Parts: sequence; structure tokens; C-alpha cells
Amino acid sequence: MTALHEAPPTASARPSRAEARTLKKADRRRRFLRDRALVVMTLPAIALVLVFNYAPMFGTATAFQTYSIYAGFWHSPWSGLDTFRRLFGDPLFWSAFENTLTLSLVQLVLFFPVPILLAILLNSVLSTKVRTFVQSVVYLPHFFSWVLAITIFQQMLGGAGALNQFLRSHDLGTWDIMTNPDTFKLLVTAQVVWKEAGWGIIVFLAALAAIDQQLFEAAAVDGAGRWRRLWHITLPGIRGIVVLMLVLQLGNVLTVGFEQMLIQRLAVGRDASEVLDTYAYYYGVVNANFSIGAAASLFKGLLSLILILTANKVAHLFGEDGLYRR
Amino acid sequence: MNPLDGVRADRRRFLELTGLGALAIAGSGVLAGCGDAKTGGGPGTTDKGQLGKILPAYVPATALTPDIPGVVGANGFTSTPVFLKYPASPVTTVTGVPGKGGSYTTMTPLWGSIPSSKGNSYYETVNAALGADLKMQPADGVNYEKILPPLFAGNKLPDWMMIPSWNMGNLGFADAVNKFADLGPYLSGDAIKAYPNLAAIPTAAWQSCIWNGKLFGLPTFYSGATAGGALFFRKDIFEKEGINPDSIKSPADLEGIAKQLTDPKAGQWAFGDFFDYMAHVFHYPGDPYRWSVDSSGKVVNRYEMPEYLEALNWFAKQAKAGYVHPDALAGKKEEGKQRFWSGKEVITGDGTGSWTGADEESGRAANPAYVKAAFKLLANDGKPAMPMNPAASMYSFLNGKLSADQIKECLSIANYLAAPYGSTEWLTVNFGKQGLDYTIKDGNPQLTEKGSKEVAQTYQFLVTPITPVPVNPGHEQVAKDYAAWEADMVKYATKPSFYGMNITEPAQYANLNQPMVDVSQDVRYGRKPISAFQDALATWRSSGGNELRKFYEDVKNKYGTGQ
Repeated sequence: MTALHEAPPTASARPSRAEARTLKKADRRRRFLRDRALVVMTLPAIALVLVFNYAPMFGTATAFQTYSIYAGFWHSPWSGLDTFRRLFGDPLFWSAFENTLTLSLVQLVLFFPVPILLAILLNSVLSTKVRTFVQSVVYLPHFFSWVLAITIFQQMLGGAGALNQFLRSHDLGTWDIMTNPDTFKLLVTAQVVWKEAGWGIIVFLAALAAIDQQLFEAAAVDGAGRWRRLWHITLPGIRGIVVLMLVLQLGNVLTVGFEQMLIQRLAVGRDASEVLDTYAYYYGVVNANFSIGAAASLFKGLLSLILILTANKVAHLFGEDGLYRR
Repeated sequence: MNPLDGVRADRRRFLELTGLGALAIAGSGVLAGCGDAKTGGGPGTTDKGQLGKILPAYVPATALTPDIPGVVGANGFTSTPVFLKYPASPVTTVTGVPGKGGSYTTMTPLWGSIPSSKGNSYYETVNAALGADLKMQPADGVNYEKILPPLFAGNKLPDWMMIPSWNMGNLGFADAVNKFADLGPYLSGDAIKAYPNLAAIPTAAWQSCIWNGKLFGLPTFYSGATAGGALFFRKDIFEKEGINPDSIKSPADLEGIAKQLTDPKAGQWAFGDFFDYMAHVFHYPGDPYRWSVDSSGKVVNRYEMPEYLEALNWFAKQAKAGYVHPDALAGKKEEGKQRFWSGKEVITGDGTGSWTGADEESGRAANPAYVKAAFKLLANDGKPAMPMNPAASMYSFLNGKLSADQIKECLSIANYLAAPYGSTEWLTVNFGKQGLDYTIKDGNPQLTEKGSKEVAQTYQFLVTPITPVPVNPGHEQVAKDYAAWEADMVKYATKPSFYGMNITEPAQYANLNQPMVDVSQDVRYGRKPISAFQDALATWRSSGGNELRKFYEDVKNKYGTGQ
């Protein structure tokens, strides 16, 4: 502390650590008084998060118990890490894990860029009429349930669907799309693109709208063509949002469409369609082995947390905001 | 080389990569000391000597004569009687009011829209007739199994509730059932004669209500011969193609007509996914049975039987030949009925309960020529046989907290609810008040508009009389066809191993079956070779299958096999 007081006068412009603390405190107080209405407004949301996100976390205790519905949390015997040992010893769990990872990777590569491209494309359309129309059309599938979406795929591309009946009637042979386990990952990604890409463009469109139009005009005056403007203005302009979305996506890497997999399980079989969520469902919930289900979910949650923190760190290293500003 | 070695190595590498290596190593030491988790509770079943002491006496109802009486078949099984019209002068079987003004909460599943209970004149009519206030609280039948565990866990059971057998799997029912009242002291032996309509419930139905050596349940919707299902075909299409259905006696015969019935360009395929209804054809135990005792006295699982392999092979062959509808192979089971109605599938499998006038109406709406019929029992070896399901698979239970007087009141009420088809009580229980909820049209009761909004299957799930074949006005031929099929079927009725024994498997084997279900699907849809099934079977045996066999051997030695 004394060392600080003896600091040269040039540095005395900066407050001492103790002073900084009081200043910070006062500042925090001032800010709280200023923002109290906003703080009160967030309380219901915080209550929701506490009740629906934090309170259920106590349920993870079942992962360390031999849980019985008759005994409940309080009276089920503790089993230490036994459930995890059984879980990690189950080759079916690891095959579900592997499926989840590859599927995530495929979707990251094939799905993630689609909304960005779509947004840039739409942004370059000048007619508002055309833009609104296209936007509405590509939004719509987001509001369909997975049951409906997959039924539409089956009606169109299934073995007795429109495409194959057309091929049959012209003696062109048939094309097995819906029940081929080898190409299932591509099919699933195609379904996600069809259903969700339109919805995903909203945030990128907003980012694009935030780019200063004068930059484009200035660049155009300087003789920059369409591609140069895209490369030097548009893409850097939305980089922050793209990185944010990517970080969020990485946190969700282990969540790859529970319903989608459940509905198509019979069509392609367990080997192709089992992911961590369906594993937890079949081996945890359906057969009332809640401890196994809880252990699988806890494992998944832990990995997701690690992934999202790592991705955030990387984003900060590259000078982006990531999830929050440092 | 063990195929799992690679997986384990990957796992270790992965844990190291994510910094969890320490946990994996520390964990393995700690874990080595832990044994496998086992849960308490016995097998829940009862031996034959004990059964004799518990089962109520049987005094059949004789007040009414059906139009087509039931036929007694093999092993004491009887086909279902048919009334083509509601009897013109209904009999009265209960004198006075059964209830004493008590009030009881109930819970029953309902597969359909749930009517409003406020000002529901149907509930009011029936409760007035019962002389008690039964609070009907139907719950969504599809999600029923998800509602039950929290009710048990929170100990919030209603006074009187129904639980279907297929929802018992994740309840550990041998334990759960102890929350209910033991009805033995009130109903066993001749005691039941105080309740004549309950005494007319056949013994086989009561047998399926016994757990842990005690009579717990009241059976609903049972019959004298319950087949696991049947193979149905489109009679109209067969006639058009000139195929005589009586000439089809084996899987080979089915295969023989498959090509003729398959025309993909016209959107018609010969088969749906009826594999689940083929167990009796190939003679392996179908659901709900999985275990059987072979001729040498050894306990075997269906998956270990060569008959099961043969069936898998047969179906995979049909799938590969392109005779099975592609949507069926894509697992679209819920649309199977629609495909059959519209003639996209010519041959399908279904429960016998689906052979009704209502089905014919739906079918005719899709295709006016629609006629449904069932094959006489097929067999791969020329020896047809139909193992019987337990007589009842839905039961209601009284809460163990009720007093003896309350239980007696509930049983009197049950006696009213179990009044036979053709009685005035049956009309009240099923249709409410004449003129308000229903009218009699062409001799049959028919719901009014008000009635169709208020009347739902609720009281019937507490207890029923023996259910006759339902006849829908204008579709009498369906009931006649069904009766004729069943009369033929009961000639070949058999008691499978562990028949009606209500066995509760130990919880630690709950996950054993799923991989087998998955791989058998893969094989019969033609996605995997039969060798994949045999590999899975080896894993099944070593990861608990053999222990589960030991469990069934113990059951067999201690309690018999239900023969």
C-alpha cells in the first residue's frame, strides 16, 4: 500500500487501489439507483431461471444414487460413481456419443454457414416486396413440428413418396433417401437446413442492417466491386455476431435434435440415429433407470460447459466479444 | 479381438484430451469397490396351490342368451358371444342402490377427448344410480405411464384407479401393488357370491389380477380368449385378384401371393409391417411373453429360439424383395391403418379389437369397396396354434388406505358397474340417461348430441362385465365374421409358458431388451445381416441374459409355469 503512495506524481492521476474500490462501490451504487427500474424488471426473469433452470439441477443427485421412485431423492441409497462406471462401460453409450459428435460436426460445417449466406443474399435484394415474400417463405418451416416436417420429407422423398413414384412411373429406378443409414447424417442436416435456416437469418439480417451504408458508398466511389465490398465491409461488419453465434452453437454441440432422431429411429435403425439425448431417453426414462439417464445428461452438460467456455476464451483471444465483453 | 477394446481406448484418450483423465483414473479405483445396483422386491407371482385359495368362485350369468353364443375351444378358452341387437327388454340385476353416499376420487386413462366434469349430466346420472359420489378424473391414456410414477412417488394415489399392464413396466409393480387394498378377504372363494355380477367374471380374468399371492385388482375389458392379434387382409382386393384366402396356410403361401399383390407403380404393396403378429405363426412367444420352457424343460428367451431367427429371416426376405410398403419400412407405424384402409397395404397385422364396425366405416371412407377379413391361423409347420394373452390386461385397484366399510361400498358399486350387456344397469353405465344422453334407434342405444359430448369411457375402466363383440348398427356382418374367426381360433388356443403369472422382472435387467429390439428391427428391415443379430445375442447373454434366465428358472421351480 505504502509503495503506491510513494508513486511518482505522473502515476498519481490514477486512483490507488483502496480509492478505486470506494469509487467502484460508489459507482455501483449510483448505477444501481439509476437502473433500479430495469433491475426490478429483470427479477421475474431471474425467478424463472432459478425455478426452472437452477432448482431442477438438484435432480442430478439421482446420478449418484440408485434412484427408486418409491424412495425419492431423500431416501434412495447413494451409489457414488457406480452409475457413471456402468455408463462409461456401455459401448452403446459411446456409439451414441460418437454419433452426436459427428452429427454436430457435419451440421457445423453444412448448416452453420447457410443462414449467413442466405442473409447476405437477401440483403442484396433491393425490392422490399420480393424480400418480404422470400423471408416469409423461408421462416415458415420453423413453426412446423418435427413430426410434420419429417412427414413432409417422407411424402416427398420416401420410398412411396412423390419423387420415387415419379421415378417409378418413368422406369428410372428408385432412390432410397429416407431409410439409408449411411447418408442419414446428411438427411438430418438437410432437414435442419430446410426447417431452421430461414429462422436463423434474422439475427444476421439485423447485423447487416447495422453496417454503415456510407462505407459501401465510399468503397463504391473508390472503385471497389461487389466482391471487394463483400470481403472488406460486409463480412468484417458481421464478424462479431458470427463469432457469437458460433460460440453459442458450440455450447449446443451435444444437442442434436432429440425429436428428429426419435421419429426416424425405426427408419434407419439405432446405429445411425442414437444420440446422447435418445440414449438418455431409452435407457434412462423408458425403462425407469433414472440414474443412468441423469448420469448421461450430467456428462453431456459438463462437456457442453467446457466447450462453451473454451470457445468463448478463443473468441476473446481473437479480440471478439464472444458471449460477454471482458 | 474384442471389438470393445477400441472403444475403451478411444474413451481414455478422450478423457485425457478434455482434462478428465485424472477423474477417470481416480474414479476407477473408487468404483472397483462398488457392486452392481440391485433393487428389492420379489418376482410378484403366485403358485398354483396358492391361487386355488385366493381365486373367487365363478357363477356365470344366465339371464340373457346371446345371438351367437361363445364356443368352447381347446384348454378351456371360450370365444366371445355376440349380441346383434340390444335385448328389447333389458333385465335388472341389482336391487336397490349399491352405494351408501360415500365419496371417492378415481383416475382412469382415456384415449380420446376428455369431457368436462362440470355439470356433466352423464356423471350425475350414473352417480345417482350408484348412490355414491365417484369423482371421475380421466387422464390422457397416451401419456398415462408418465403420470403414474410421480403419483406413486408422491404417495398421492386416488381412492380407485386403473392401471393397464403395459404401463406397469417402469413401476416395479410387485412393490407398487402393495399400496393397494387386498381384496381377497372380500372376494376369495364363495365370499364373492355377495356380489353376483362380480361372480360372473371368469376365473382366468381374476387370475390376472393377482400379485404377491394376493388378489389386488378388478379386471376390465377381458374376454374368454384373448389372442395377441391377427393377420388381416383386404377381402375385396383378394376377390378382385382371384385369390382364395383359405388356401393361405403358411408363410410360404403368403410369400407366394406377394408378387401378385405388389404393384408399386399403382402405389400398392402386399405387406405392411406385421412382424409383431407373426409369433404364433412361427411358434415363439410373442408379447407380453418373452420366455418359454422348451420340450427339454429348459428356460429360453424368444431371441434364442431358432423359430425367432426363422421369422426374422422370412420377413427380411420379403422386405428385400420389395413386398413391404416403404413407409412401413421407414417405421411409420401410426399411419399403418390409413395405408390398409386406402389399399396401399393388402395384408397387415393388428389387434383383434380393431375389427369393428367403426373400422369398416373408416375403411369405406377411404375406399368404398373396403372389406376387412382375417386369415385363419397360419403356421410354418402345418400345426396352427394361438397362445393366449392373459384374460385381462387392464385392472383397477382400491387404495390401501380405505377402511373395510369403504371397500365394501366400492365393491357393491363395482357389482353395479359389472352388470352384463343387456341389463338396465349396463345402459346407465355406458349411456347415461335415456332421452337426455341417448335414445334407442332400431333397437340399439345411440348417443344424443349432448351425450356424445359428455359420455366417455370412465366407469368402464373401474370394472366391466364380460365384453361381447361390439356391434355397430349397419355393420352386423363384421361382428358375425369376427365371431366366426374367433370360434375357429379357440380350437387352437394354447396356454403359453408363464401364462397369466404377473411376473415382475428385477429392475437391473430393464435395459437388457432394448438393444435386441433395435437389432431385430435392423435385421428384419434388411439393414443388417442375421450375424449382427447373433452378435447382439451373445452380448445379451453375457450382460445379464443368463442371469435373467436363472431368475425365470427360479420362478419356474418355485411357482410353476402357469399351466
